[in-house]
Amino acid sequence: MTQIISRQDLLSWLERLIGERIVIAPAQSNGLVLFQRVSRAEDIVLDFDNTVLSPKESFLPLSEVLFTVAKENGDIKLMPATVAEEMVLFGLHPCDAKGMAVIDQPLLAAPADDLYQQHRARTTLIGLACSQAGPECFCTSMGTAPDDPSNLDILLTRVNDSYIVQATTEKGKALLPSDLIAQSEVTAPPPPSPQAVPTEGIVEVMRGAFESPYWSRLADRCLHCNLCAYVCPTCYCFDIRDYVDEGGIERVRSWESCQSPGFTRLAGGYDPRPTKGARLRQRFYHKLSYFPEHFGHLGCVGCGRCVRYCPVNIDIREIINDIQKLGAQSEC
Amino acid sequence: MNAENPFIPYLATLLTTADLTPDTKLLTVELDDPDVRDRFDYQPGQFAILSAFGVGEAPFCLVSVSYRGRQLEFAVRRIGTVTNALHDLEPGVKVGVRGPFGNYFPLEQYKGSNIIIIGGGIGMAPLRPVVNFILDHRADYGDLLIINGARTPQDLVFAPEFDTWAQAPGSRLELTVDRGDAGWTGREALVPDVVKELKPSAENAIAITCGPPIMIRFTLIRLKELGFTDSQIATTLEMKMKCGLGKCARCNVGDTYICQDGPVFTLEQISKFIEQF
Repeated sequence: MTQIISRQDLLSWLERLIGERIVIAPAQSNGLVLFQRVSRAEDIVLDFDNTVLSPKESFLPLSEVLFTVAKENGDIKLMPATVAEEMVLFGLHPCDAKGMAVIDQPLLAAPADDLYQQHRARTTLIGLACSQAGPECFCTSMGTAPDDPSNLDILLTRVNDSYIVQATTEKGKALLPSDLIAQSEVTAPPPPSPQAVPTEGIVEVMRGAFESPYWSRLADRCLHCNLCAYVCPTCYCFDIRDYVDEGGIERVRSWESCQSPGFTRLAGGYDPRPTKGARLRQRFYHKLSYFPEHFGHLGCVGCGRCVRYCPVNIDIREIINDIQKLGAQSEC
Repeated sequence: MNAENPFIPYLATLLTTADLTPDTKLLTVELDDPDVRDRFDYQPGQFAILSAFGVGEAPFCLVSVSYRGRQLEFAVRRIGTVTNALHDLEPGVKVGVRGPFGNYFPLEQYKGSNIIIIGGGIGMAPLRPVVNFILDHRADYGDLLIINGARTPQDLVFAPEFDTWAQAPGSRLELTVDRGDAGWTGREALVPDVVKELKPSAENAIAITCGPPIMIRFTLIRLKELGFTDSQIATTLEMKMKCGLGKCARCNVGDTYICQDGPVFTLEQISKFIEQF
């Protein structure tokens, strides 16, 4: 027996959740499907291939105050930011849930990033299994799958006009609306098959390709627009800066990208990674070599967003293929 | 480190500032909370991240030694936004301190060895606590040779301590500048050339060097000519850093985080980095 919820009841449940807490879900915004705070369940888009931006912004906001500096009678006090409200992140696909799990590793490693940890602790993840694979999807080559319930609290899988409900964590089970859920004999349809990319052994092959002119040639067409990092569910590099506003001081953390020219430039001007080729190489080495060496699995989840949105068609699938070929040639 | 929220600095008071060179100041800072002050122990080579509130924060090596006193010293060269702000602060102002971060020179392991310290310019800053540690534990180490170079005599960073360093038993201080002035009677030579001239023996010796990349490059060549192996040479690396915690991914070189796995490395370790700077 499986637990199911009808589409209508799912919307009623979401309406209930919206009354209780912040609900972030995919919704239309100027023709784009984006994760955003919703105030009505009817605004939630249930059928979409993938959102333009990943949901990482819900945990690692584009820009977020870490603490404010309060001045009292000539003395100063640091007021840490806190996350008070409970949140539901609804509608993320398994690749994006895996993306969160990737970011968790550096940010929750001791000593944990306190604010990120608070965001994570206060959020329940309700995922949607993919009913079709987009043309740029390759998640099954990156250690997840269109129907992967891990890294989520609840996974919903559409079957006709209902959804199979799989609560995999205590947090997920606690949220389930028992009055709206029925038992059923239905089984999930077979998951779609995204395109396969040859990731087997890529970490080792990358080791030998570092000095290849491949990277600077690839970078010739890169515009260093940083869009890849912007849409990526696993890019987590950040910057920390102070902002002064009408006498108040805020220390702010914001997204940063290894593709920015100033990313490694030191005070005084010396930049150990001064060329576009070296910076583009850093992006792919971080995901396909350094991250797996550090944490044991690839730092890409195969969501395909960078492939879809790169203005000059730099395609990580093509790069993995090319590097495998380079590796095979050097063995001859 | 503030384990509950590692991005929140400890509040501290800037006690004094002193000019070390025309562009470098020694900032002496005291942590405000006596409990924090007591447990803020650190080793030569470790660093902390200093905040000038409203401007930002940046990493600096701790140039004091922990056991001598609870006040923290930083040698800050005026070179960027945060260092400019720190230079302009008046004593008494509140600053922020995060840390201590990173690894440190394995001075325990170096016991019994002759030590050669080779520093250029502001690169002498992380080496100062090493010199002072060795002088304070003199019997544990062999001969100490300090080669300290700078562009001009005015740019030699820890001049007030030179007599102490030079006169300590078993210690020798060799100063050099690229360009002397009217009052300068010492060497006018590049640091690697002084290494070549003095020919320190590699036998039972450890060389610790820090300075501008070009100085390090040629110093390493000279040391190797003298028979120093990669494991006998240690240095401390500088990279852009934001968090100090291995999270912001600014300072990684391959899968190594300079802020956590470093900043101190032997040449043997550095030669295995996939990316060479």
